Amino acid sequence: MSSEPIFVLPGDRIDASLIPSHEKKPLRLGPGLRHVPPSDLVPTLAGQLVTDRQKNAIRVETANGRYIPRVGELVIGTVNKSAQEVYFVSLSDYTAPALLPQLSFESATKKTRPILLPGALVYARCVSASTGKADGLGPLVGGMLFTISLGMSRLLMMPKKAQQGRLVVLDELADAGVQFETATGRNGRLWVDSDSTKAIIAVGRAIQETDEKSLGVDEQRRLVKKLIKELS
Amino acid sequence: MPREAEPSLSERTFTLQAISEGLRLDGRKLDEFRRLELSFGDEYGVADVKLGKTRHVQLLAKVSAEVTVPFADRPFDGIFQITSELGPMVAPSYEVNRPTETEVLLARLLEKTIRRSGALDTESLCLVAGQKCWSVRVDLHVLSADGNLIDSACFAVVAALRHFRKPDTSIEGETLTVYTPAEREPVPLSWLHSPFCATFDFFGDEGDIVVVDTTWLEEQLRVASCTFSLNKHGEICQISKLGGRPIEATLVIQCAQMALAKVKEFTDLLDAKLAEDAKRRDKGGLMAELSAENER
Repeated sequence: MSSEPIFVLPGDRIDASLIPSHEKKPLRLGPGLRHVPPSDLVPTLAGQLVTDRQKNAIRVETANGRYIPRVGELVIGTVNKSAQEVYFVSLSDYTAPALLPQLSFESATKKTRPILLPGALVYARCVSASTGKADGLGPLVGGMLFTISLGMSRLLMMPKKAQQGRLVVLDELADAGVQFETATGRNGRLWVDSDSTKAIIAVGRAIQETDEKSLGVDEQRRLVKKLIKELS
Repeated sequence: MPREAEPSLSERTFTLQAISEGLRLDGRKLDEFRRLELSFGDEYGVADVKLGKTRHVQLLAKVSAEVTVPFADRPFDGIFQITSELGPMVAPSYEVNRPTETEVLLARLLEKTIRRSGALDTESLCLVAGQKCWSVRVDLHVLSADGNLIDSACFAVVAALRHFRKPDTSIEGETLTVYTPAEREPVPLSWLHSPFCATFDFFGDEGDIVVVDTTWLEEQLRVASCTFSLNKHGEICQISKLGGRPIEATLVIQCAQMALAKVKEFTDLLDAKLAEDAKRRDKGGLMAELSAENER
C-alpha cells in the first residue's frame, strides 16, 4: 500500500494498480464504489481511497453523510418515549426511532428493568433480532453529548487511533492529567463525562475542533496545550 | 412531519450547569458573539451572512426592484416588502408553505425593525403619483440555523438593502425612462437609518444570567429572551419579549446598554464592508463621475 493517500471524486477512473488482487478471496467493495460490468470500478463519493490487501477489500473513506444503522455497531441513542416492552430510541435527528427492548439491559428481568425517562442517553449495539444481552453497555448518566462527524466517530473507535488514524488529542489530554470518561457511538455522537464542567467542555471542544478543521498531529498537540492553559 | 430534534437530558443538565458556572460549550464568554462574516455578491443587493464556523447560521438576502402601480390608498408611497423563508434545508421539521412559529416571529420582527421604523424612505420610491412606483422586495433565505436567527437575519437584510442599487430613472413630461446599468449608473436606495437587532437570552432560576448569541441548544433551554432593535444613535425601534419568565427592570436597562454597544459594532462592520465592496467595484476610479445621482 502506498504511503501517499489517494483521493477520488465521483466518476473518476481508478488505476488498475490500485485495486488489490488476491488469489483466492473475491474482491470486496466497500461504501462509495460501484461495479460497472464487466470490469470497471467507479467511485460514487468523494474521499480517500482505502485498500486492504489482506482482506482484498477497497472502499472510499468520507467524513460526512447521514448515519445509516448497521448490525453490530455501537451507538449512543436518546430515549424518545417508552412503550410497554420497548423504548423508542432516536439515533440521529429527524429520522425514525429504533426499538430498544427493555429486557435487553444487563441483568434485566421483568421486575428489575431500568426505568429511563424521555431524553435519557443509552449506549447500545445495533442488532437485527434481539437475543444477546448487553456487555458494558447501558444507560449513560450525566456528562455531555457532542455531535461529531461520522468519519471522526469511526476514527475514535479504532483500536490504535494514534497510529492508524493520527488522532492524539484524547491521549494528549489524558497525559496532561485531565480525568474524563468517553463513549463513542457510530452514529456521530460522543459522550464525555468528568468531575469538572471545564474538563468536559475542553474534551468536547478538542474533538470537535480536530474534526472540523481536520487537524494534523502537531496541530492537535498545540490545541491541547491551549485548552490545558485555559483549564488551569 | 418529521419530529423536531430534541436535546437529551444530559445535554440539558450539562449546558445549564455550564452556563451557571459562566462557561459555554464552544468556549465563548457569556457576552461574546460568534464571528460574523459578511460578503456581497457580484450583483447589487445580494448579501451572504455567516455567523460562527462549522455549526453556524447562514443566510442569503437578495433585493430586487421593479416598477409597478402603487396601492390605491397610498398613491405617494412605493412598495417595500420583506419575505423570509425557513425551508427544509435548515431542518427537516420546517416545511414549505407551512410557517412555523419561529418563521412567523422572524418575519414580524424584521417587519417591525426595518419597515415600520422607516429605515427606507418609501416616498422616494414613488415615480408618478398614483400610477408608477418602485416595488422593492427583499427575499431572505435561511440556509442553515444554529440559534440567534433574528440578529443575523436583520443584519443580512439591512446589509443587502444598503448594498442594493436600483436603476436610474428620469421623467420628461408624461414619459418615464428607466435606464439600464450601461446607460446610467444605478442609484442606491434612499436609506434613512440602519436598525439592527440584538437578542438577549436569560438563564437561571431567577432569569438573571444574560447570554448573547445563543446556539440552538442553548435556545432550547432559556427561560426568557428579549430582542432590542435600535440604530447606532441609540434610537430604539422596538423591544420584544415574547412570554417567558419576568425579568428585572434594571436588567432590561443593562441589556439595552449592551445592545447599543453591539449595534455600533454591527454598524462599523457593515460600513467597512460596504466601503471595501465599493472600492472593489470602482475600477479606474470613475464611479464618482459616472453617477448621475444628486447628493441628498
